[in-house]
Amino acid sequence: MADAFVPYNKRPEWQDITPIPQDDGPNPLVLIAYSSDYTDAMNYFRAISSKNELSERALDLTTQIIGMNPAHYTIWNYRQNLLLALNKDLHAELEFIDELSKERSKNYQVWYVASAVNPDFRATHYISPTITRHHRQVVVERLNDSSRELPFIAYILEEDSKNYHAWSYRQWVITRFDLWSGELPYLDELLIIDVRNNSAWNHRYFVVFEGPTKPTQEFLEKEIEFTKGKIRLAPNNQSSWNYLKGILARSPNPTTADDILASFCAELRDSEIVSSHLLASLVDVSEARAKRGDKTSLNQGVKVGRGGMIGYTGSPRLLYDAWLFMRCFETCLIFMPPVNTRLATTWQRSTTRSVKNTGCIASRTC
Amino acid sequence: MTSHSANSTHTQVSSHQDKDRAQNFASDFSFKKHVAYFKRSLSMLPYNYTETDTSRMTLAFFCLSGLELLGVLDEEISAADKQDYVDWIYAQQILPDTADPSLNELHCGFRGSSWPGRPFEPNATHTTYQSYDSGNLANTYSALANLILLGDDLSRVNRDAIVNTMRHLQQKDGSFVPTYGSMESDLRFVYAACIISYILNDWRGVDIPKAVDYIRRTQTYEFGIAQSPGEEAHGGSTFCGIAALALTGKFDEGLVSRKDTIYWILSRQLDGFQGRSNKPSDTCYSFWLGGALEILDSFQFVNSECNRGFLMTTQTMYGGFAKWPDCPPDLLHSYMGIASLSLMHEPGLREVDPKVNISKRAVEYLKTQTVFWRGGPVPLK
Repeated sequence: MADAFVPYNKRPEWQDITPIPQDDGPNPLVLIAYSSDYTDAMNYFRAISSKNELSERALDLTTQIIGMNPAHYTIWNYRQNLLLALNKDLHAELEFIDELSKERSKNYQVWYVASAVNPDFRATHYISPTITRHHRQVVVERLNDSSRELPFIAYILEEDSKNYHAWSYRQWVITRFDLWSGELPYLDELLIIDVRNNSAWNHRYFVVFEGPTKPTQEFLEKEIEFTKGKIRLAPNNQSSWNYLKGILARSPNPTTADDILASFCAELRDSEIVSSHLLASLVDVSEARAKRGDKTSLNQGVKVGRGGMIGYTGSPRLLYDAWLFMRCFETCLIFMPPVNTRLATTWQRSTTRSVKNTGCIASRTC
Repeated sequence: MTSHSANSTHTQVSSHQDKDRAQNFASDFSFKKHVAYFKRSLSMLPYNYTETDTSRMTLAFFCLSGLELLGVLDEEISAADKQDYVDWIYAQQILPDTADPSLNELHCGFRGSSWPGRPFEPNATHTTYQSYDSGNLANTYSALANLILLGDDLSRVNRDAIVNTMRHLQQKDGSFVPTYGSMESDLRFVYAACIISYILNDWRGVDIPKAVDYIRRTQTYEFGIAQSPGEEAHGGSTFCGIAALALTGKFDEGLVSRKDTIYWILSRQLDGFQGRSNKPSDTCYSFWLGGALEILDSFQFVNSECNRGFLMTTQTMYGGFAKWPDCPPDLLHSYMGIASLSLMHEPGLREVDPKVNISKRAVEYLKTQTVFWRGGPVPLK
């Protein structure tokens, strides 16, 4: 695009317009060394947008500027008004956005691993996608046609499987066009490719609980078994653990939910699984049960606390748990044990039990 | 008036103290390079920042607040430059229209730069309506923060106009859009609306119960906070939600489970912090999540050694910080890197107040030297 750039003051169809330069005053903040093409195009943009000119040449101008600065939200806004005023073919617009998004999605992958001297270096990749996404939404809403949307999103997710804007847009598309039915099979596939894709897990939760039909008990039981299977596959994957707890938290019966979690944790512990999430879950279950007046798990021996451990009477099994817990600290998987007096004080305050029987407060091992 | 306040900014800290401070920096911290990086960005950015054309106000914030946390803002920027910068910021204010004040009613606040081509008028009291020229919540926030950092007393800010516009920007669900008619309604702009209200000492522009309800609904089954309801828990939006609750004083109403949110945040620490489960560490989350923890009075659980160690790998040889190791720096991550180190009390750095996202010194200045705080808060009807 830049190669073919003809300055606007050399274009016959623009001769009636007096360009308006930017007035930054005598000593501005953070000037940008705009390219001369950008400055030229913007000078003409200023001139026509201030009069809200609705014309073909205005639309062409927005195309040109978006190519140089897709994060300019006002230009997108102007473009939307132009498309409607000129009664343009919105399918063509969708193709334009497709190309732009695909190119940018690839750039996003490429530019950050490139060196500082790479001319493709983009300083602000985090600004433009949200604007492009909302423009697309406006166009698709007006077209009332979703046929291109899921394939398009799938393409973006193939490039970047955790693209926040793509997932956000996907939620809008499936809700707006009632496209829920294909989601779980699609997510099954994504979780086979990458069981740690937290965006896919989050979307699964959205599909299960925000869909048009309320999930049945039978469905949720199947979903719990599905998730347990994924945890067995990767016991240190926080995404699947959180999802499991998320579903269990929606259970009408908290005691049953705790039992499910407790017996699953016991199963993993018996197979010598080392996982900080397993231990955290044991803590969660103990705490939940204690809150309901069931003190057995707290009186058993050691209460394994997050960020440290507090001993009560000592049982080898739970001491082993605590030791595993410490192993996890060494790998910095979760946060740290007490390291100073301020923390020790906080720790004592926040525990319901006295710490005088404390076996140890673990020392830092990172 | 403004000229006077710009000259007398923060006089309590002498340049001698600043120099002592500079000498106290640990040897692996590139103090001088960071100062040079922010200073050079303040005057000119390369063309690949073109995409920030509409957000220059925010980039200026990264530079000014970065220099402030490095302790050299007053030393490195002359009183004359400060005055010019203050004028440039005021020239970006959209005020009520001269003939018909209702014309700009939806658009008051600050724009991100001079891109609409308006004449440079730093002392205007009205702005003639022009289509497509509008303020923006994110830039209004940045502009106000910049004015505080530059020692202005905010006397040229039209508070009533901003507050009135904000009422039109809040959506039915409690969220905010950055400009009227935009579809980008999410938690980022809820934070912007709250911090603007805090700085202006005037909450008439925000329906607080609705905003708090929105924040509550953005908490996910992971107990982190998403940008919009249903989306994935995310470090950046978690900061926005927690800081907005701190500014409104509504933790009890706004947090589904304070404990579980703290657990979620703490679980994001690898060496530095990741922004979401199973993502790599990224410089900015050391601040977004570290700041959220500090606000929640739980920063002491962070392993600061690991966190600092990660930040030293994203510090670049050009000055500034990158998102990831071995990558080029950018202004956002550079500021976030410095602010993260400030949270960990890096020797020589000024302390940051995370919920306001400027130094504690600047917050003190806001509360004692600016017109809206001197007059006391505006009562809510």
